[in-house]
Amino acid sequence: MTQLRPDMFEEAAVRLDGVSLRYDSSEEILSGIDLVLKPGSFSFLTGASGAGKSSLLKLLYLAQPPSRGEVSLFGRPTSRLSRDELSAMRRRVGVVFQEFRLLSHLTAYENVALPLRVMGRKESQYRRDVEELLSWVGLGERLHERPETLSGGEQQRVAIARAVVTQPNLLIADEPTGNVDPDMAARLMRLFYELNKRLGTTVVIATHDLGLIRQIDAPVYRLADGMLVQENGEATATARRRTDPLRAMP
Amino acid sequence: MKPRENSLLPLEDAREAALFFVVGALCFLAALAALSAKSTYGAARAWTAEVEGEYTVSLSGADASAADAAARLLAGLEGVEAARAFSDAEINALLEPNFGKSGLPADLPVPRLIAVTGAAEAGDIGAKISTALHGAGYDAAVDAHAEWAGDVRHMLSISRIAALSIVALLSATAIAVIAFATHAALLARRDIVDVLHVAGAKDRFIAGLFERRFWLLGLRAGTVGALVALASVAVLIAMGRSGADRTGLLPQLSLDFPDLAVLVVTPVIAGLAARLAAGITVMRSLRSVM
Repeated sequence: MTQLRPDMFEEAAVRLDGVSLRYDSSEEILSGIDLVLKPGSFSFLTGASGAGKSSLLKLLYLAQPPSRGEVSLFGRPTSRLSRDELSAMRRRVGVVFQEFRLLSHLTAYENVALPLRVMGRKESQYRRDVEELLSWVGLGERLHERPETLSGGEQQRVAIARAVVTQPNLLIADEPTGNVDPDMAARLMRLFYELNKRLGTTVVIATHDLGLIRQIDAPVYRLADGMLVQENGEATATARRRTDPLRAMP
Repeated sequence: MKPRENSLLPLEDAREAALFFVVGALCFLAALAALSAKSTYGAARAWTAEVEGEYTVSLSGADASAADAAARLLAGLEGVEAARAFSDAEINALLEPNFGKSGLPADLPVPRLIAVTGAAEAGDIGAKISTALHGAGYDAAVDAHAEWAGDVRHMLSISRIAALSIVALLSATAIAVIAFATHAALLARRDIVDVLHVAGAKDRFIAGLFERRFWLLGLRAGTVGALVALASVAVLIAMGRSGADRTGLLPQLSLDFPDLAVLVVTPVIAGLAARLAAGITVMRSLRSVM
């Protein structure tokens, strides 16, 4: 396992300074948001449907530039990055989409391996890791099946495996346990926790699952009327939590 | 056994099959037009080279022996390489389209013909031939073929330009169609592009996927188009040979080395055009996102 490096703590993993977002001439979806997530932090993002959670996540995984303000990842303002540098930055971010976004013509194994192929890795270098990861999420027997033959929960697990296979510095998950049973939800949360604890991966999870949020001692940010409000914990997410966030998980 | 790893782009769909047909058809037409242009050019050059320095002398009121004497006179002139009087059989063959195989009426006065070939670099010797014959008492008219070769050259050069214009137009159309299709394919596969983009793929990487896809499509469609053009030319050649004595001045299609080179180059150009169009389209499209 990769060890925590001192440089991981030198800069905020995520920093939003006065970030606003509007699409075309519509009203602002996000207004003047300030946020600092330190490396290795674990945070929840919540809010009503249409509050702008997905839009905020888009800013974090660099799919959308803000209308105003600055998004910085790992200490680097993204507005100043070249396109190649942005691509390199995205490789440090794993994303679990709410709608999975698996490629229908690829098998589960190939979907999970996709970020590694993008990074130019040889299959001989990653085959075992991908197979083990899929086995870990309970899909070891379905490696070569396509998404259309998998259930919603299975597709979600493939999507999660794809997001974490590169051991990203920042993991962003949009409703990652929405389609799985409680046991699998706990198992997946354990995976996120392991990444967070062992690799220092900064984790941001957007969820409606208040039960999940209540059981875990982690900062919760609520989006309402385009504003971001922290509901518990410290003013900014801390580098390490003092408690095991999964202590109450089944 | 582990299945082979799939391409990051899905296999061809119906849109690409339609594009394959269109590109193949355009390549077929372009190859055929290119071959026609080349044949026209070759025919013009061969024909004008043949008639340059050629003269036909017609002697009125002369018999065969007088015509032979006149031919010998002309053969001795400076600047004349050869002079030969037409035999009766040759004259009958020339007039056969008008009088049929039964030959000329015996009482029809027909001029005797002498074919004269000027020496290379001799220039226009028409006046010299005329002077020599009149000086010797012959009633002669001299026809320099080069006088109307210019018109034929002009006509053939227009045909050549037209064929080249068609080649250029078809090539431009193929490129435009491919660019349009690439854009449509990109829109249809926006989900794939988005996933690759978020996964950290560089623009060049994503463009490369589409470039490879369309390079192969252009190459395969171009090959099919060129092969159909080859078959068509072969059929035209066979038809031309079966009526070889009636093909006249029409450009003769052939299949020599330059022709085969045109057929080989056609798919490569189609593939490169497809690749270029795909690359530009994808890069432009990606520039519109972060």
